[in-house]
Amino acid sequence: MPEITLPVDVGRTTGSRSSGRLRAAGKIPAVIYGHGAEPVSVAVDGRALRLALTTEAGLNALLALQVDGTSHLTVARDIQRDPVRGTVIHVDFQIVRRDEVIAAEVPVNLVGEPVELHRADGVVDHQLFTLTVHATPGRIPNDIEIDISGLLVGDTIRVGDIDLPEGVTTDVDPEGPVVVGQPPQVSDEDLVTEADAEAAVALEAEEADADAQAGAETVAEGGDAGNEG
Amino acid sequence: MLMPKKVKHRKQHRGRVSGKAKGGAVVSFGDYGIQALEGGWITARQIEAARIAMTRHVRRGGKVWIRVFPDKPVTEKPAETRMGSGKGSPEHWVAVVKPGRVMFELAGVDEDLARAALERAIQKLPIKAKFVVRRQQEGVEV
Repeated sequence: MPEITLPVDVGRTTGSRSSGRLRAAGKIPAVIYGHGAEPVSVAVDGRALRLALTTEAGLNALLALQVDGTSHLTVARDIQRDPVRGTVIHVDFQIVRRDEVIAAEVPVNLVGEPVELHRADGVVDHQLFTLTVHATPGRIPNDIEIDISGLLVGDTIRVGDIDLPEGVTTDVDPEGPVVVGQPPQVSDEDLVTEADAEAAVALEAEEADADAQAGAETVAEGGDAGNEG
Repeated sequence: MLMPKKVKHRKQHRGRVSGKAKGGAVVSFGDYGIQALEGGWITARQIEAARIAMTRHVRRGGKVWIRVFPDKPVTEKPAETRMGSGKGSPEHWVAVVKPGRVMFELAGVDEDLARAALERAIQKLPIKAKFVVRRQQEGVEV
């Protein structure tokens, strides 16, 4: 996997106010650490970071950061986002070596159309969206594809069923579910439309009126009979 | 309707809804979600109305997650009562929601149907909210 060169600005002032000013200027506060090196607070250009992390390698792309004339091979370890806007507000870059095994979160993508499952009104319950794998930086897969075209209701595809590429391992429990074919969740009660519900209420009201009228007539008849007597 | 089985204290102070959601701000279980854009109280009735609105629109084939729980009791005094004489009695339950919170999630349907269903559910809520997609939340927006 080739690395992407990303220029960084060293010597930023830390703190929320200065970080806010950096973000307003289109830069993103970041920190570089790893391999016993002293953590360095840096700032990266937001547009350059987005371009670097939207290649085929995704968020696991290898980044070569230029700090004070020296190049550090890194991966983006933690990306913090604004909870409402979703914009990136801080990035952790971890220094790595090409020959060391590192952990990475790889997205799990589902491919294929589960025709039989859909015919039975079943639902594809995707439970594991990322898989933590261990590999050297150059061997980390871009994504893991799982074919679900043969999935039926009640079937489970587990972590142990995934074919990982050579040199890639995982610590995740092999019995852990990745995708489950679930039976339909919606009950018949939920499927009653508002129009049906209103019609049912109107019918009940009519029946209640009819009962009340019948009751009133009975009372009136009873009263007449009493007067006659 | 959702409500706690048992509580330690029957009545609570109202409190303030300040700041943004600290957790629960990303779609974690399904593929699509409803994200709060402002803070507020969501009553158990509103949660149930939103759930029914989306499940009726999706009909069969979808799975719904409700990621807020109404665990805060709200008291009310009876009508035409003079002020004083202590706090009113608990009447209903609310969930306190901060901006950014993903309140509902949906999976197992295509995006157009999910968007239509969740837009209907948003209409049942007392706060501004938006439709969010998991893939977009995982991107690198700057």
